[in-house]
Amino acid sequence: MEAPATNKIVIDPITRIEGHSKITIHLDDAGEVADAQFHVTQFRGFERIVQGRPIHEMPSIMARICGICPVSHLIASSKACDEILSVEPPPTGADLRRIMNLAQIVQSNALSFFHLSSPDLLFGFDADPAKRNIIGVAGANPQLARDGVGVRRFGQQIIEWLGGKRIHPAFVVPGGVDAPLSAETRDRILSTIPEALAATERAIAWYKETLVRFEEDAATFGDFPSAFMGLVDRAGNVDHYDGWLRVMDAQGRLLADRLDPRGYQDYLGEAVEPWTYLKSTYWKTLGYPNGIYRVGPLARVIVAVQMGTPRADVELDEFRRRVGRVPSSSFHYHYARLIDMLHSIERIEELLRGPDILSPRVRSFAGVNSNEGIGVSEAPRGTLLHHYKVDDNGIVQWANLVIATGHNNLAMNRSVAQVAKHYVKSAKLTEPMLNRVEAVIRCYDPCLSCSTHALGQMPLQVQLLGPDGAVLDELER
Amino acid sequence: MSSGVLVVGYGNPLRTDDGIGPMAAQRLADDPRLEGATVLTAHQLLPELALDVSRAALAVLIDVRADAPPASVAIESVEPAPAGDNGTAWSHHLTPTALGSLALELYGAAPEMVVVSIGAASLEVGDRPSAELEAALPRIVDAVVGVVQGRTRARIVEPSHA
Repeated sequence: MEAPATNKIVIDPITRIEGHSKITIHLDDAGEVADAQFHVTQFRGFERIVQGRPIHEMPSIMARICGICPVSHLIASSKACDEILSVEPPPTGADLRRIMNLAQIVQSNALSFFHLSSPDLLFGFDADPAKRNIIGVAGANPQLARDGVGVRRFGQQIIEWLGGKRIHPAFVVPGGVDAPLSAETRDRILSTIPEALAATERAIAWYKETLVRFEEDAATFGDFPSAFMGLVDRAGNVDHYDGWLRVMDAQGRLLADRLDPRGYQDYLGEAVEPWTYLKSTYWKTLGYPNGIYRVGPLARVIVAVQMGTPRADVELDEFRRRVGRVPSSSFHYHYARLIDMLHSIERIEELLRGPDILSPRVRSFAGVNSNEGIGVSEAPRGTLLHHYKVDDNGIVQWANLVIATGHNNLAMNRSVAQVAKHYVKSAKLTEPMLNRVEAVIRCYDPCLSCSTHALGQMPLQVQLLGPDGAVLDELER
Repeated sequence: MSSGVLVVGYGNPLRTDDGIGPMAAQRLADDPRLEGATVLTAHQLLPELALDVSRAALAVLIDVRADAPPASVAIESVEPAPAGDNGTAWSHHLTPTALGSLALELYGAAPEMVVVSIGAASLEVGDRPSAELEAALPRIVDAVVGVVQGRTRARIVEPSHA
């Protein structure tokens, strides 16, 4: 059967996301959007690069995947190595890992919300692109911009104080962490918490006022039923470091609960498409591509019973009153991201006030006791899995990474198609359409260097292609 | 003493000469001629640096430039741009001009800002600079010290890297 003729619009790359990519929008003969695809066109290499490396190098190598979220890879990689050593970190070592992971969540969520998305929310998607950036925010709402700088700095400082530097710190190692916490550093972090909480709560209050202006967008920004997945603790509350996977469907029913992440290959499939280097992960029971699910802040607040910290739980209750128990629109990633941030700051304080947080026992030592290890944690963008196989000398033979952006790939594609169908009304490319297609991708805050391990960046290009593949229109940014 | 001086060496240490800024900053952190200065390294200029910049009397940024002869050192002054005229459709990093603008907008102060730059010989993947730039490292360090000590007056170099 002959495929139906289509036109195609290409957006290449998407700006204000972590990394760069391309979108094609396919038009049918009537000029209506038939489909859309989110292309990640860079080569992915880390799973091959690490073959032949000793496992004690793995956390440091894997942290190089991303300059935004190196800690997330440190955590997942070290946990996979823990399994290979057959050790558990001492409780204080695990808590210090948690603190650094939560600091990572805070700084990355702050980057996404304040620096990348707040310009759209403050000025609207139709505003002058020259104004829709952090400098524009600084002029129009300096408190919001200061809060963004302050909250991100809060997270980065914790990482730097614990790990010696903001980007690619060491600290998290197989077996625990490499140094105990000093009382001075603990008190230093504690002294910054009140302002971080205040700034985040100001941002939440501002967002709740702002949300009413975006009702139409919320209804078209990836508004479709899907499952959601995230880690929860024994009580079913959010856990960014450990626990069990919980999967909830669009009606709020549990598809799975208390799943051991180590069995991920039993229930998660990874599909490969010829038009992208980014794998599409799917829930095996529902098959590909129907097994679509979302991860990240929105999924975390949906699958959890509660956040588990007082201020965040108050906000979660209001979130559920405002947008429902299982909101279907990806626009609400922004709201969820703020609650996730608030919870993380509260949790850092709780952990720092723990009675044993200054214990010198922070690392377990062992040799290779297993030939396979799987580590899982919640990264800012969602569930992150590292899976290694080693020989008896601890030399890596095989590695597989399942990255949050891969979990969300099917949802991102569907979201782009939905936005395109709503806003693309002709074969001519327009700036508002372009902005919204990009913005829906930003809801997921995809990390393309994580998901594909890219080198370099691509310029922004939008192409409209006719049924015969000829370029009808083109935009570059 | 160099109190009130902020030095930021920035670039990617895994892209050969792009890492010369952080490398120079690491040398300057131990240089007694800059005693009292705050010396930072960064991959990119990020909004979080605006607070540090606003608190400084002099901010010296060290960067590499691709559009200059290899190992040539230039010293440029940077003026914050007016609000809304930041000259960049940025994603999550800033130009020196935008960083100064942000410091001014958010914290009401922007110091004298100077960019000390050096022409790149290579920006390929690699964890150490080219031999040409490694040999030029003392000149970059001395150029920064000269700016801090007031011996070298900043000038605008065209084409501007700011």
